[in-house]
Amino acid sequence: MPTLVEVQRAMRRSLVERDDAEAAAYILSDGLAPGVRLNVYRNTSTAALTTALRLSYPAVHRLVGAEFFEAAVKIFIKTEPPHSAYLDEYGAAFPEFLAQFPPVASLAYLAGVARLEWAVNRSLHAPDFETVDLSRLSAIDPANHGGIVLLAHPSVGLVWADDPVDAIWRAVLAQDDTAIATIDLGSGPVWLLVQRAESGVDIMRISEEEWRFAKQLCSGRPLQAALDAAPGLDVAAALAGHLAAGRLIGFRLESTP
Amino acid sequence: MPLHGSAERVEDGSIPGKAGIGLRFRHHQVVIDNKPPVAWFEVHTENYMGGGAPLRYLDAIRRDYAISLHCVGLSLGSGEGLDPGHLDRILRVVERVEPALISEHLSWSISSGVYLADLLPLPLTEEALATVCRHVDQTQNYLQRRILVENPSSYLRFRHSTIPEWEFLAAIALHTGCGILCDVNNIYVSAANHGWQASEYLAALPPSAIGEIHLAGHRVARLEGGRRLRIDDHGSRVIPEVWQLYSEALSRFGPVPTLIEWDTNVPRLEILLDEAARGQSLLESVRPGFTHADAG
Repeated sequence: MPTLVEVQRAMRRSLVERDDAEAAAYILSDGLAPGVRLNVYRNTSTAALTTALRLSYPAVHRLVGAEFFEAAVKIFIKTEPPHSAYLDEYGAAFPEFLAQFPPVASLAYLAGVARLEWAVNRSLHAPDFETVDLSRLSAIDPANHGGIVLLAHPSVGLVWADDPVDAIWRAVLAQDDTAIATIDLGSGPVWLLVQRAESGVDIMRISEEEWRFAKQLCSGRPLQAALDAAPGLDVAAALAGHLAAGRLIGFRLESTP
Repeated sequence: MPLHGSAERVEDGSIPGKAGIGLRFRHHQVVIDNKPPVAWFEVHTENYMGGGAPLRYLDAIRRDYAISLHCVGLSLGSGEGLDPGHLDRILRVVERVEPALISEHLSWSISSGVYLADLLPLPLTEEALATVCRHVDQTQNYLQRRILVENPSSYLRFRHSTIPEWEFLAAIALHTGCGILCDVNNIYVSAANHGWQASEYLAALPPSAIGEIHLAGHRVARLEGGRRLRIDDHGSRVIPEVWQLYSEALSRFGPVPTLIEWDTNVPRLEILLDEAARGQSLLESVRPGFTHADAG
Protein backbone atom coordinates (compact mmCIF):
# COMPACT_ATOMS: atom_id res chain seq x y z
CA MET A 1 0.00 0.00 0.00
CA PRO A 2 1.52 3.37 -0.99
CA THR A 3 2.04 5.96 1.74
CA LEU A 4 0.23 9.27 1.65
CA VAL A 5 3.41 11.05 0.59
CA GLU A 6 3.99 8.54 -2.22
CA VAL A 7 0.46 9.04 -3.56
CA GLN A 8 0.81 12.81 -3.41
CA ARG A 9 4.20 12.84 -5.19
CA ALA A 10 2.75 10.61 -7.91
CA MET A 11 -0.21 13.00 -8.29
CA ARG A 12 2.17 15.96 -8.48
CA ARG A 13 4.14 14.25 -11.27
CA SER A 14 0.86 13.62 -13.05
CA LEU A 15 -0.44 17.20 -12.75
CA VAL A 16 2.80 19.12 -13.28
CA GLU A 17 4.93 16.82 -15.42
CA ARG A 18 2.07 14.98 -17.17
CA ASP A 19 3.53 11.65 -16.11
CA ASP A 20 0.44 9.61 -15.14
CA ALA A 21 2.03 6.16 -14.87
CA GLU A 22 2.44 5.84 -11.10
CA ALA A 23 -0.65 7.83 -10.06
CA ALA A 24 -2.86 5.85 -12.45
CA ALA A 25 -1.83 2.60 -10.76
CA TYR A 26 -3.30 3.85 -7.45
CA ILE A 27 -6.67 4.87 -8.93
CA LEU A 28 -9.85 2.82 -9.43
CA SER A 29 -11.00 2.77 -13.05
CA ASP A 30 -14.72 2.20 -12.37
CA GLY A 31 -15.69 2.71 -16.00
CA LEU A 32 -13.35 5.60 -16.76
CA ALA A 33 -9.60 5.44 -17.35
CA PRO A 34 -7.54 6.88 -14.46
CA GLY A 35 -5.76 9.16 -16.95
CA VAL A 36 -9.08 10.76 -17.90
CA ARG A 37 -9.89 11.26 -14.22
CA LEU A 38 -6.47 12.82 -13.54
CA ASN A 39 -6.99 15.09 -16.50
CA VAL A 40 -10.05 16.66 -14.83
CA TYR A 41 -7.80 17.84 -11.99
CA ARG A 42 -4.98 18.86 -14.35
CA ASN A 43 -7.38 21.01 -16.38
CA THR A 44 -8.72 22.77 -13.27
CA SER A 45 -5.22 23.38 -11.98
CA THR A 46 -3.95 24.74 -15.30
CA ALA A 47 -7.01 26.96 -15.67
CA ALA A 48 -6.56 28.38 -12.15
CA LEU A 49 -2.89 29.20 -12.72
CA THR A 50 -3.59 30.65 -16.17
CA THR A 51 -6.21 32.93 -14.63
CA ALA A 52 -3.81 33.99 -11.87
CA LEU A 53 -1.13 34.93 -14.43
CA ARG A 54 -3.65 36.66 -16.72
CA LEU A 55 -4.72 38.85 -13.79
CA SER A 56 -1.08 39.75 -13.07
CA TYR A 57 -0.07 40.17 -16.73
CA PRO A 58 -3.13 41.62 -18.52
CA ALA A 59 -1.14 43.65 -21.07
CA VAL A 60 1.09 40.70 -22.01
CA HIS A 61 -2.11 38.64 -22.37
CA ARG A 62 -3.53 41.18 -24.82
CA LEU A 63 -0.27 41.64 -26.72
CA VAL A 64 0.20 37.93 -27.47
CA GLY A 65 -3.48 36.87 -27.51
CA ALA A 66 -5.32 34.39 -25.29
CA GLU A 67 -4.34 31.26 -27.20
CA PHE A 68 -0.62 32.00 -27.24
CA PHE A 69 -0.73 33.14 -23.60
CA GLU A 70 -2.29 29.84 -22.51
CA ALA A 71 0.28 27.83 -24.44
CA ALA A 72 3.17 29.84 -22.95
CA VAL A 73 1.73 29.53 -19.42
CA LYS A 74 1.51 25.73 -19.80
CA ILE A 75 5.26 25.61 -20.42
CA PHE A 76 6.00 28.17 -17.71
CA ILE A 77 4.11 26.38 -14.90
CA LYS A 78 5.99 23.17 -15.61
CA THR A 79 9.33 24.82 -14.82
CA GLU A 80 8.13 27.49 -12.35
CA PRO A 81 5.12 26.12 -10.46
CA PRO A 82 3.75 28.14 -7.51
CA HIS A 83 4.74 27.28 -3.96
CA SER A 84 1.68 28.48 -2.07
CA ALA A 85 -1.99 29.28 -2.56
CA TYR A 86 -1.25 32.99 -2.11
CA LEU A 87 -1.33 33.34 -5.89
CA ASP A 88 -0.97 37.14 -5.90
CA GLU A 89 2.69 36.30 -5.25
CA TYR A 90 2.93 33.85 -8.15
CA GLY A 91 4.60 34.69 -11.44
CA ALA A 92 7.71 36.70 -10.51
CA ALA A 93 9.76 34.60 -12.95
CA PHE A 94 7.39 35.09 -15.90
CA PRO A 95 9.18 38.17 -17.36
CA GLU A 96 12.52 36.33 -17.50
CA PHE A 97 10.76 33.29 -18.96
CA LEU A 98 9.37 35.49 -21.74
CA ALA A 99 12.80 37.08 -22.30
CA GLN A 100 14.20 33.59 -23.01
CA PHE A 101 11.17 32.23 -24.89
CA PRO A 102 12.15 31.84 -28.58
CA PRO A 103 8.60 32.23 -30.05
CA VAL A 104 8.43 35.85 -28.77
CA ALA A 105 12.05 36.78 -29.53
CA SER A 106 10.83 39.24 -32.20
CA LEU A 107 8.74 41.16 -29.60
CA ALA A 108 11.74 42.83 -27.97
CA TYR A 109 9.56 44.98 -25.71
CA LEU A 110 7.43 42.09 -24.34
CA ALA A 111 9.68 41.13 -21.41
CA GLY A 112 9.96 44.83 -20.47
CA VAL A 113 6.16 45.18 -20.42
CA ALA A 114 6.03 42.02 -18.28
CA ARG A 115 8.61 43.44 -15.82
CA LEU A 116 6.48 46.57 -15.48
CA GLU A 117 3.34 44.47 -14.94
CA TRP A 118 5.06 42.46 -12.21
CA ALA A 119 6.06 45.70 -10.47
CA VAL A 120 2.46 46.91 -10.77
CA ASN A 121 1.16 43.60 -9.38
CA ARG A 122 3.59 43.69 -6.44
CA SER A 123 2.62 47.28 -5.75
CA LEU A 124 -1.12 46.51 -5.79
CA HIS A 125 -0.74 43.65 -3.29
CA ALA A 126 2.09 44.97 -1.10
CA PRO A 127 1.29 44.98 2.62
CA ASP A 128 -0.03 48.18 4.16
CA PHE A 129 2.40 50.34 6.13
CA GLU A 130 2.03 53.67 7.82
CA THR A 131 4.55 56.23 6.62
CA VAL A 132 6.44 57.21 9.76
CA ASP A 133 7.56 60.58 11.00
CA LEU A 134 11.14 60.95 9.89
CA SER A 135 11.78 64.09 11.96
CA ARG A 136 13.83 61.87 14.26
CA LEU A 137 16.40 61.83 11.45
CA SER A 138 17.43 65.34 12.51
CA ALA A 139 18.66 63.94 15.83
CA ILE A 140 21.32 61.92 14.02
CA ASP A 141 24.85 63.30 14.05
CA PRO A 142 25.52 64.57 10.49
CA ALA A 143 28.78 62.62 10.59
CA ASN A 144 26.65 59.44 10.54
CA HIS A 145 24.25 60.46 7.76
CA GLY A 146 26.01 58.23 5.24
CA GLY A 147 25.08 55.19 7.33
CA ILE A 148 21.34 55.88 7.40
CA VAL A 149 19.34 53.08 5.79
CA LEU A 150 15.90 54.29 4.70
CA LEU A 151 13.05 51.77 4.48
CA ALA A 152 10.94 52.15 1.37
CA HIS A 153 7.23 51.32 1.31
CA PRO A 154 6.89 47.83 -0.21
CA SER A 155 4.47 49.20 -2.81
CA VAL A 156 7.32 51.20 -4.38
CA GLY A 157 8.87 49.47 -7.38
CA LEU A 158 11.55 50.45 -9.88
CA VAL A 159 11.70 49.23 -13.46
CA TRP A 160 13.73 50.30 -16.45
CA ALA A 161 13.40 49.17 -20.05
CA ASP A 162 14.95 49.87 -23.46
CA ASP A 163 11.48 50.57 -24.86
CA PRO A 164 8.66 52.91 -23.72
CA VAL A 165 6.92 50.06 -21.92
CA ASP A 166 4.82 52.44 -19.80
CA ALA A 167 3.24 53.94 -22.93
CA ILE A 168 2.73 50.45 -24.41
CA TRP A 169 1.17 49.21 -21.15
CA ARG A 170 -1.27 52.14 -20.93
CA ALA A 171 -2.28 52.02 -24.59
CA VAL A 172 -2.75 48.25 -24.63
CA LEU A 173 -4.85 48.15 -21.47
CA ALA A 174 -6.95 51.09 -22.70
CA GLN A 175 -7.25 49.30 -26.08
CA ASP A 176 -6.32 52.67 -27.58
CA ASP A 177 -5.23 51.87 -31.16
CA THR A 178 -4.37 55.50 -31.91
CA ALA A 179 -2.00 55.66 -28.95
CA ILE A 180 -0.48 52.29 -29.90
CA ALA A 181 0.16 53.54 -33.44
CA THR A 182 2.01 56.63 -32.20
CA ILE A 183 4.40 54.81 -29.83
CA ASP A 184 8.00 55.35 -30.95
CA LEU A 185 9.84 52.16 -30.06
CA GLY A 186 13.16 53.87 -30.73
CA SER A 187 12.56 56.69 -28.24
CA GLY A 188 15.19 55.35 -25.88
CA PRO A 189 15.15 53.77 -22.44
CA VAL A 190 12.59 54.65 -19.74
CA TRP A 191 13.30 54.79 -16.00
CA LEU A 192 10.10 54.12 -14.07
CA LEU A 193 8.93 54.42 -10.49
CA VAL A 194 5.77 52.45 -9.58
CA GLN A 195 3.77 53.25 -6.47
CA ARG A 196 0.34 52.29 -5.15
CA ALA A 197 -2.11 55.20 -5.29
CA GLU A 198 -5.54 55.74 -3.73
CA SER A 199 -7.08 53.84 -6.61
CA GLY A 200 -4.75 51.71 -8.70
CA VAL A 201 -1.07 52.30 -9.28
CA ASP A 202 0.93 55.35 -10.43
CA ILE A 203 3.72 54.84 -12.94
CA MET A 204 6.09 57.81 -13.16
CA ARG A 205 8.99 58.43 -15.51
CA ILE A 206 12.01 59.73 -13.60
CA SER A 207 15.59 60.52 -14.62
CA GLU A 208 18.24 57.80 -14.72
CA GLU A 209 20.04 59.50 -11.79
CA GLU A 210 16.87 59.63 -9.67
CA TRP A 211 16.20 55.99 -10.55
CA ARG A 212 19.68 54.80 -9.55
CA PHE A 213 19.44 56.71 -6.27
CA ALA A 214 15.97 55.30 -5.51
CA LYS A 215 17.08 51.80 -6.50
CA GLN A 216 19.82 51.84 -3.88
CA LEU A 217 17.42 53.11 -1.21
CA CYS A 218 14.78 50.49 -2.08
CA SER A 219 17.43 47.78 -1.96
CA GLY A 220 18.15 48.61 1.68
CA ARG A 221 21.51 50.19 0.89
CA PRO A 222 22.82 52.99 3.15
CA LEU A 223 22.48 56.61 2.06
CA GLN A 224 26.17 56.86 1.16
CA ALA A 225 25.84 54.03 -1.37
CA ALA A 226 22.80 55.76 -2.87
CA LEU A 227 24.73 59.03 -3.12
CA ASP A 228 27.64 57.26 -4.82
CA ALA A 229 25.25 55.73 -7.38
CA ALA A 230 23.88 59.14 -8.41
CA PRO A 231 26.73 61.67 -8.15
CA GLY A 232 25.01 64.49 -10.07
CA LEU A 233 21.67 64.32 -8.24
CA ASP A 234 20.12 67.01 -6.03
CA VAL A 235 19.78 64.53 -3.17
CA ALA A 236 17.93 66.85 -0.79
CA ALA A 237 15.22 67.44 -3.40
CA ALA A 238 15.01 63.73 -4.27
CA LEU A 239 14.65 62.71 -0.62
CA ALA A 240 12.07 65.42 0.03
CA GLY A 241 10.11 64.13 -2.95
CA HIS A 242 10.13 60.54 -1.66
CA LEU A 243 9.08 61.72 1.80
CA ALA A 244 6.25 63.91 0.53
CA ALA A 245 4.96 61.07 -1.67
CA GLY A 246 4.86 58.69 1.30
CA ARG A 247 7.45 56.31 -0.14
CA LEU A 248 9.48 55.96 3.07
CA ILE A 249 8.24 54.11 6.13
CA GLY A 250 11.21 54.28 8.47
CA PHE A 251 14.96 54.20 8.88
CA ARG A 252 17.72 52.57 10.83
CA LEU A 253 21.33 53.44 11.36
CA GLU A 254 23.77 50.96 9.90
CA SER A 255 26.33 50.06 12.49
CA THR A 256 29.71 51.14 11.14
CA PRO A 257 32.69 48.97 11.89
CA MET B 1 -8.23 19.11 21.34
CA PRO B 2 -11.68 20.73 21.09
CA LEU B 3 -11.68 24.48 21.55
CA HIS B 4 -14.96 24.96 23.34
CA GLY B 5 -14.56 28.69 23.77
CA SER B 6 -14.43 29.28 20.06
CA ALA B 7 -17.28 26.86 19.42
CA GLU B 8 -19.47 29.03 21.63
CA ARG B 9 -18.42 32.04 19.70
CA VAL B 10 -19.60 30.41 16.47
CA GLU B 11 -22.91 29.56 18.02
CA ASP B 12 -23.52 32.87 19.76
CA GLY B 13 -25.35 34.17 16.71
CA SER B 14 -22.65 36.12 14.93
CA ILE B 15 -23.63 34.23 11.77
CA PRO B 16 -27.30 33.32 12.01
CA GLY B 17 -28.93 30.28 10.47
CA LYS B 18 -29.61 32.30 7.36
CA ALA B 19 -28.53 32.39 3.73
CA GLY B 20 -25.30 34.16 2.74
CA ILE B 21 -23.41 34.74 -0.50
CA GLY B 22 -19.85 34.03 -1.59
CA LEU B 23 -18.44 37.52 -2.21
CA ARG B 24 -16.18 38.00 -5.25
CA PHE B 25 -14.22 41.10 -6.29
CA ARG B 26 -16.67 42.21 -8.96
CA HIS B 27 -19.38 42.74 -6.31
CA HIS B 28 -17.30 44.64 -3.72
CA GLN B 29 -18.42 48.07 -4.84
CA VAL B 30 -22.10 47.30 -5.31
CA VAL B 31 -22.27 45.71 -1.85
CA ILE B 32 -20.67 48.77 -0.25
CA ASP B 33 -22.92 51.16 -2.20
CA ASN B 34 -26.25 49.33 -1.92
CA LYS B 35 -25.94 47.26 1.27
CA PRO B 36 -28.08 44.43 -0.16
CA PRO B 37 -30.27 42.41 2.24
CA VAL B 38 -27.96 39.42 2.74
CA ALA B 39 -27.39 37.93 6.16
CA TRP B 40 -23.63 37.41 5.70
CA PHE B 41 -20.80 37.02 3.18
CA GLU B 42 -18.04 34.50 2.75
CA VAL B 43 -14.71 35.31 1.06
CA HIS B 44 -11.67 33.28 0.09
CA THR B 45 -8.97 34.00 2.67
CA GLU B 46 -6.22 33.70 0.05
CA ASN B 47 -7.59 36.73 -1.85
CA TYR B 48 -6.93 39.05 1.10
CA MET B 49 -3.40 38.16 2.12
CA GLY B 50 -1.81 41.34 0.78
CA GLY B 51 -2.57 44.99 1.51
CA GLY B 52 -4.15 47.70 -0.60
CA ALA B 53 -7.62 47.84 -2.12
CA PRO B 54 -8.96 44.29 -1.48
CA LEU B 55 -8.49 44.59 2.29
CA ARG B 56 -9.89 48.12 2.30
CA TYR B 57 -13.05 46.89 0.59
CA LEU B 58 -13.32 43.94 2.96
CA ASP B 59 -12.92 46.23 6.00
CA ALA B 60 -15.77 48.39 4.69
CA ILE B 61 -18.03 45.37 4.09
CA ARG B 62 -17.12 43.89 7.49
CA ARG B 63 -18.55 46.99 9.17
CA ASP B 64 -22.05 46.03 7.92
CA TYR B 65 -21.93 42.24 7.62
CA ALA B 66 -20.68 39.16 9.40
CA ILE B 67 -17.90 37.49 7.40
CA SER B 68 -16.90 33.87 7.01
CA LEU B 69 -13.33 33.11 5.87
CA HIS B 70 -13.10 30.15 3.50
CA CYS B 71 -9.53 28.92 2.97
CA VAL B 72 -8.59 27.07 -0.22
CA GLY B 73 -4.86 26.49 0.10
CA LEU B 74 -3.83 25.29 3.55
CA SER B 75 -3.70 21.70 2.26
CA LEU B 76 -4.90 19.98 5.44
CA GLY B 77 -4.20 16.59 3.87
CA SER B 78 -0.55 17.12 2.94
CA GLY B 79 1.58 14.16 3.98
CA GLU B 80 4.57 16.47 4.26
CA GLY B 81 3.08 18.80 6.89
CA LEU B 82 1.40 22.21 6.86
CA ASP B 83 3.19 25.26 5.49
CA PRO B 84 3.66 27.41 8.63
CA GLY B 85 4.04 30.52 6.47
CA HIS B 86 0.61 29.99 4.96
CA LEU B 87 -0.94 29.27 8.34
CA ASP B 88 0.51 32.55 9.57
CA ARG B 89 -0.90 34.45 6.58
CA ILE B 90 -4.33 33.01 7.46
CA LEU B 91 -3.90 34.09 11.09
CA ARG B 92 -3.18 37.66 10.00
CA VAL B 93 -6.37 37.81 7.91
CA VAL B 94 -8.32 36.25 10.80
CA GLU B 95 -7.01 38.90 13.21
CA ARG B 96 -7.92 41.66 10.79
CA VAL B 97 -11.38 40.45 9.77
CA GLU B 98 -12.55 38.75 13.00
CA PRO B 99 -14.64 36.26 11.03
CA ALA B 100 -17.61 34.43 12.50
CA LEU B 101 -16.60 31.20 10.73
CA ILE B 102 -13.35 29.77 9.32
CA SER B 103 -13.31 26.79 7.00
CA GLU B 104 -10.99 24.61 4.90
CA HIS B 105 -11.38 21.50 2.76
CA LEU B 106 -10.90 17.79 3.25
CA SER B 107 -8.29 17.72 0.51
CA TRP B 108 -4.67 18.47 -0.24
CA SER B 109 -2.95 20.76 -2.76
CA ILE B 110 0.76 20.87 -1.91
CA SER B 111 3.41 18.22 -2.56
CA SER B 112 7.20 18.68 -2.44
CA GLY B 113 6.63 22.40 -1.91
CA VAL B 114 4.62 22.76 -5.13
CA TYR B 115 1.11 24.22 -4.92
CA LEU B 116 -1.10 22.29 -7.35
CA ALA B 117 -3.94 24.85 -7.52
CA ASP B 118 -6.80 22.42 -7.02
CA LEU B 119 -8.54 20.63 -4.15
CA LEU B 120 -7.14 17.14 -4.63
CA PRO B 121 -8.70 13.95 -3.23
CA LEU B 122 -7.13 11.97 -0.40
CA PRO B 123 -6.73 8.23 -0.16
CA LEU B 124 -9.17 7.58 2.69
CA THR B 125 -6.88 5.53 4.93
CA GLU B 126 -6.05 5.47 8.64
CA GLU B 127 -2.76 7.22 7.78
CA ALA B 128 -4.56 10.05 5.98
CA LEU B 129 -7.10 10.36 8.82
CA ALA B 130 -4.31 10.73 11.38
CA THR B 131 -2.60 13.29 9.15
CA VAL B 132 -5.71 15.42 8.65
CA CYS B 133 -6.59 15.27 12.37
CA ARG B 134 -3.05 16.37 13.29
CA HIS B 135 -3.29 19.31 10.88
CA VAL B 136 -6.77 20.35 12.04
CA ASP B 137 -5.47 20.33 15.63
CA GLN B 138 -2.44 22.37 14.58
CA THR B 139 -4.62 24.88 12.74
CA GLN B 140 -7.16 25.27 15.55
CA ASN B 141 -4.37 25.73 18.08
CA TYR B 142 -2.57 28.27 15.93
CA LEU B 143 -5.69 30.28 15.13
CA GLN B 144 -7.14 29.73 18.62
CA ARG B 145 -10.42 29.06 16.85
CA ARG B 146 -12.56 26.15 15.86
CA ILE B 147 -12.59 25.53 12.11
CA LEU B 148 -15.04 23.79 9.80
CA VAL B 149 -13.85 21.12 7.36
CA GLU B 150 -15.68 20.80 4.04
CA ASN B 151 -16.45 17.60 2.17
CA PRO B 152 -14.93 17.77 -1.34
CA SER B 153 -16.34 16.94 -4.75
CA SER B 154 -14.21 14.27 -6.40
CA TYR B 155 -13.59 12.62 -9.74
CA LEU B 156 -11.46 9.67 -8.68
CA ARG B 157 -11.04 7.21 -5.83
CA PHE B 158 -7.93 5.38 -4.70
CA ARG B 159 -7.72 1.60 -4.73
CA HIS B 160 -6.36 1.44 -1.20
CA SER B 161 -8.99 3.65 0.47
CA THR B 162 -10.60 1.83 3.38
CA ILE B 163 -12.84 4.43 5.07
CA PRO B 164 -16.05 5.81 3.51
CA GLU B 165 -15.79 9.60 3.09
CA TRP B 166 -18.74 10.30 5.42
CA GLU B 167 -17.13 8.23 8.19
CA PHE B 168 -13.81 9.96 7.57
CA LEU B 169 -15.44 13.39 8.05
CA ALA B 170 -17.32 12.31 11.17
CA ALA B 171 -14.08 10.92 12.62
CA ILE B 172 -12.22 14.22 12.04
CA ALA B 173 -14.99 16.10 13.86
CA LEU B 174 -14.97 13.57 16.70
CA HIS B 175 -11.18 13.57 17.18
CA THR B 176 -10.48 17.31 16.76
CA GLY B 177 -13.69 19.04 17.84
CA CYS B 178 -13.83 20.81 14.49
CA GLY B 179 -17.13 21.37 12.74
CA ILE B 180 -18.22 20.12 9.33
CA LEU B 181 -19.02 22.36 6.40
CA CYS B 182 -21.54 20.21 4.56
CA ASP B 183 -21.39 21.04 0.84
CA VAL B 184 -24.65 19.56 -0.40
CA ASN B 185 -23.72 20.07 -4.06
CA ASN B 186 -20.41 18.26 -3.49
CA ILE B 187 -22.26 15.33 -1.93
CA TYR B 188 -24.56 15.22 -4.95
CA VAL B 189 -21.64 15.45 -7.42
CA SER B 190 -19.45 12.85 -5.68
CA ALA B 191 -22.41 10.50 -5.12
CA ALA B 192 -23.28 10.67 -8.82
CA ASN B 193 -19.64 10.19 -9.88
CA HIS B 194 -18.96 7.25 -7.57
CA GLY B 195 -22.34 5.59 -7.28
CA TRP B 196 -22.92 6.53 -3.62
CA GLN B 197 -26.33 7.21 -2.08
CA ALA B 198 -26.44 10.93 -1.29
CA SER B 199 -29.10 10.45 1.39
CA GLU B 200 -27.01 7.84 3.17
CA TYR B 201 -24.03 10.21 3.08
CA LEU B 202 -26.12 12.94 4.76
CA ALA B 203 -27.53 10.51 7.30
CA ALA B 204 -24.03 9.44 8.36
CA LEU B 205 -22.89 12.97 9.30
CA PRO B 206 -23.21 13.99 12.96
CA PRO B 207 -25.89 16.74 13.01
CA SER B 208 -24.35 18.61 15.96
CA ALA B 209 -21.07 19.08 14.05
CA ILE B 210 -22.62 20.75 11.02
CA GLY B 211 -21.65 24.44 11.19
CA GLU B 212 -22.40 25.55 7.65
CA ILE B 213 -23.87 24.35 4.36
CA HIS B 214 -22.63 25.20 0.85
CA LEU B 215 -24.77 25.22 -2.29
CA ALA B 216 -23.57 25.76 -5.86
CA GLY B 217 -24.11 24.75 -9.45
CA HIS B 218 -22.10 22.17 -11.37
CA ARG B 219 -21.79 20.96 -14.94
CA VAL B 220 -21.94 17.57 -16.61
CA ALA B 221 -18.95 16.57 -18.76
CA ARG B 222 -19.24 13.80 -21.36
CA LEU B 223 -16.01 11.85 -21.48
CA GLU B 224 -14.68 8.80 -23.30
CA GLY B 225 -17.15 6.03 -24.04
CA GLY B 226 -20.09 8.36 -23.36
CA ARG B 227 -19.38 8.18 -19.59
CA ARG B 228 -20.61 11.27 -17.77
CA LEU B 229 -18.81 12.99 -14.93
CA ARG B 230 -20.32 15.78 -12.86
CA ILE B 231 -17.81 18.63 -12.43
CA ASP B 232 -18.13 21.07 -9.54
CA ASP B 233 -17.43 24.34 -11.38
CA HIS B 234 -19.63 26.76 -9.36
CA GLY B 235 -20.74 28.26 -12.65
CA SER B 236 -24.53 28.03 -12.70
CA ARG B 237 -27.67 27.91 -10.55
CA VAL B 238 -28.23 25.18 -8.00
CA ILE B 239 -30.08 22.33 -9.75
CA PRO B 240 -33.49 21.07 -8.47
CA GLU B 241 -32.03 17.75 -7.28
CA VAL B 242 -29.55 19.61 -5.07
CA TRP B 243 -32.29 21.86 -3.65
CA GLN B 244 -34.16 18.66 -2.81
CA LEU B 245 -31.09 17.22 -1.07
CA TYR B 246 -30.66 20.56 0.74
CA SER B 247 -34.21 20.26 2.15
CA GLU B 248 -33.29 16.82 3.37
CA ALA B 249 -30.14 18.24 4.99
CA LEU B 250 -32.13 20.97 6.73
CA SER B 251 -34.57 18.44 8.13
CA ARG B 252 -31.62 16.56 9.65
CA PHE B 253 -29.35 19.46 10.65
CA GLY B 254 -31.79 22.30 11.38
CA PRO B 255 -31.42 25.88 10.11
CA VAL B 256 -27.65 25.95 9.48
CA PRO B 257 -25.99 29.05 7.90
CA THR B 258 -26.13 28.36 4.16
CA LEU B 259 -23.91 29.83 1.46
CA ILE B 260 -24.49 30.30 -2.26
CA GLU B 261 -21.18 29.92 -4.12
CA TRP B 262 -20.56 31.05 -7.70
CA ASP B 263 -16.98 31.29 -9.04
CA THR B 264 -17.06 30.69 -12.81
CA ASN B 265 -18.68 33.41 -14.97
CA VAL B 266 -19.84 35.22 -11.84
CA PRO B 267 -23.27 36.75 -12.64
CA ARG B 268 -24.93 39.98 -11.50
CA LEU B 269 -25.44 40.20 -7.75
CA GLU B 270 -29.22 40.01 -8.29
CA ILE B 271 -28.91 36.40 -9.49
CA LEU B 272 -26.99 35.47 -6.34
CA LEU B 273 -29.53 37.31 -4.18
CA ASP B 274 -32.26 35.32 -5.89
CA GLU B 275 -30.52 32.00 -5.15
CA ALA B 276 -29.94 33.09 -1.54
CA ALA B 277 -33.63 34.04 -1.18
CA ARG B 278 -34.59 30.54 -2.28
CA GLY B 279 -32.26 29.08 0.35
CA GLN B 280 -33.65 31.50 2.93
CA SER B 281 -37.24 30.41 2.32
CA LEU B 282 -36.24 26.76 2.80
CA LEU B 283 -34.36 27.69 5.99
CA GLU B 284 -37.48 29.40 7.31
CA SER B 285 -39.57 26.34 6.58
CA VAL B 286 -37.56 24.34 9.12
CA ARG B 287 -39.98 24.04 12.00
CA PRO B 288 -39.37 26.38 14.93
CA GLY B 289 -37.79 24.92 18.02
CA PHE B 290 -35.77 22.44 15.98
CA THR B 291 -32.99 20.82 17.95
CA HIS B 292 -30.41 18.36 16.80
CA ALA B 293 -31.98 15.74 19.03
CA ASP B 294 -34.95 15.79 16.63
CA ALA B 295 -32.75 14.45 13.87
CA GLY B 296 -32.25 11.35 16.00
